[in-house]
Amino acid sequence: MRPQESIEQFGYRQELRRGVGLPDLVFYGLAFMLPIAPFAIFGLVYSRSGGMPVLAYLVGMVALLFTAASYAQMVKAFPLSGSVYNYAGRGIAPPVGFLTGWMVMLDYILVPCLLYLVASIAMNASVPQVPVWAWLVLFVAVNMVINLRGIRMTVKLTRLMIAAEVVVLALFLLIGGWALLQGGGRGFSLDPLFNPATFSWPVVFAAVSVAVLSFLGFDGISMLVEESTGGSEQVGRAMRLALLLAGALFVTQVWVAALLVPDPAALLRDGSDTAFYDAAAVAGGEWLRHVASTATALSWGLANTLVAQVAVSRLLYAMARDRQLPSFLAKVSVRHSVPSNAILFMSALSVALGIWMSARDDGVGLLSSLINMGAMVAFIVLHVSVIVHYALRQGSDNVWAHLVAPLVGMGILIFVVINANVLAQLVGLVWLGVGAAVLLALYAFGRRPALRDLPPVPSERGAS
Amino acid sequence: MTTRLPLHQDLYLLAHDQSGKPLIHQSSMALGLAGAALLDLALDGRVAVARGRVAVSGRPAPTGDAVADHLLAFVASAPGDVRVPIRKAAADACVRTREALIAAGVLVRVTKRVMGVVPTTRYVAADIASVVRASSGARSAVEGWKEPDTRCAALCGLVGVLRLEGELYLDQPPGELVTRLREIAGSGSREVAELVSVVDTLVTEAAIAVYR
Repeated sequence: MRPQESIEQFGYRQELRRGVGLPDLVFYGLAFMLPIAPFAIFGLVYSRSGGMPVLAYLVGMVALLFTAASYAQMVKAFPLSGSVYNYAGRGIAPPVGFLTGWMVMLDYILVPCLLYLVASIAMNASVPQVPVWAWLVLFVAVNMVINLRGIRMTVKLTRLMIAAEVVVLALFLLIGGWALLQGGGRGFSLDPLFNPATFSWPVVFAAVSVAVLSFLGFDGISMLVEESTGGSEQVGRAMRLALLLAGALFVTQVWVAALLVPDPAALLRDGSDTAFYDAAAVAGGEWLRHVASTATALSWGLANTLVAQVAVSRLLYAMARDRQLPSFLAKVSVRHSVPSNAILFMSALSVALGIWMSARDDGVGLLSSLINMGAMVAFIVLHVSVIVHYALRQGSDNVWAHLVAPLVGMGILIFVVINANVLAQLVGLVWLGVGAAVLLALYAFGRRPALRDLPPVPSERGAS
Repeated sequence: MTTRLPLHQDLYLLAHDQSGKPLIHQSSMALGLAGAALLDLALDGRVAVARGRVAVSGRPAPTGDAVADHLLAFVASAPGDVRVPIRKAAADACVRTREALIAAGVLVRVTKRVMGVVPTTRYVAADIASVVRASSGARSAVEGWKEPDTRCAALCGLVGVLRLEGELYLDQPPGELVTRLREIAGSGSREVAELVSVVDTLVTEAAIAVYR
């Protein structure tokens, strides 16, 4: 314990960490999730949930609160690492870490592509003369230049971004609420929360498998554990708070939007990528549609991609540094202090995949399902990591935090995965199979997965 | 005979062009300068570095250099992970190094107006010979004219890590040159190899940091 005490005594912790407090951790999580995230996938969640998007978001939030609890435990055990890849590798075994990293990579590398696609669809809704693929190329090009120039999110910019999104959301809620009071839409109803005519658990969980997309990013808070003024405890708290806040915002906006949907039967039958904007138009007219779609385009296509690019670069770097991915992905530009190869790789991938997906009717849905599939599988392994690390290896007697909660969280997620889009399940399995083949190849070439040692932090390790 | 500048001051000169404009990102340079100052202290025997940890050797007497003394005081008060004092000293390494070079008369302050309106301040070398001297050891080592000492090996390593090989004005492909510079650093002392590697990791980590 002595080294830690002496560091504290000389103010090491205070000065090393750049002082990101609880509010900024929560803001970062919200910036990653986006307070207006449901704007883009509302139609999909509505149709998959049988018109009960509120229930889908509530179940998703509960599932991810359990995931956040497991994250908090693993951040406590390994406070210097920031990815489920590291937690599984260190908590269970390096090969499991590799496969988990491989699965979560499906989430990380597809997220920028989905962000560009959604932003392009939103811009196309406002300016239909420019095709979706052209908007997509433009968004990728602008982001590539911004990222390569080393322009990065700052604490201040994160706050500003959240504030702007909350203003747009408040505008929609006020005008939407007023429209409902004036007899617009279908008036107040509990149907978006529970509709006995369409309810079944498989339907709800199938919708959750899409709705959780809006929550993905809360886990990004774990990347800031080294900068957190309150260490791993504060990171855990921030994750819970961010999820609860986002959950409250998501539930409110989809409830109002669901009551304003102009043609519920058609939306249930066909789905739509622009359903939220249509609901906004019902509430406030065309100008509110444009406000909602432009806010989505800017927040998904510019602000969120900045955050997502850093996250994917960190994962690629961590895996490449451990020789589990090609080393060129870990190369950085010293001149601009950016992971240039990862940025170029992601840009090329986003253009290729984005153009392909923009040509498919189910592009957004398929990408969302794949991203969620990667994340869900990784989160399931995270729960297993908690059980293996604490309950099995350390013999922890904290049964709730180290056994029951991870088991419940894992159970919910398994149910979500089972009820997810069949194509996403298939692609997820194929991706896992490719990962297993790569793992075998690594073994065959004598490059078995191994994680770099972390400096021990005795005062925090093993805490319950 | 001209007095040799501290390692981080030589590196500062190499990391700026003739107009005083930085050639690399501020965060990369700051980490390189702090690492160079720690290397100087290690080569002087004032600190000991081994297996990722650092501690002061004997009584920490001041060196008279702001960056080095700041590092020394910090290592004396909190020995341990070598990355910590480098990150800590990097916060103001550029400013402290620049001020020391101005005080020594190596740099001069030049104020200009961009398009005759916006005032800008640059710090340029008073005599280009100081920049040539800063790179001469590394150049000689790469060309094989002179056997590099440990200080020269350290500078070669840092030039390679910070991708400043172009400032050596050698007629070699950049990739090969960087490989050669790293080889020279590796053939230096164990401390040189270790600290150059630590700076390399820190520069990379700074490039993927969530917030700058």
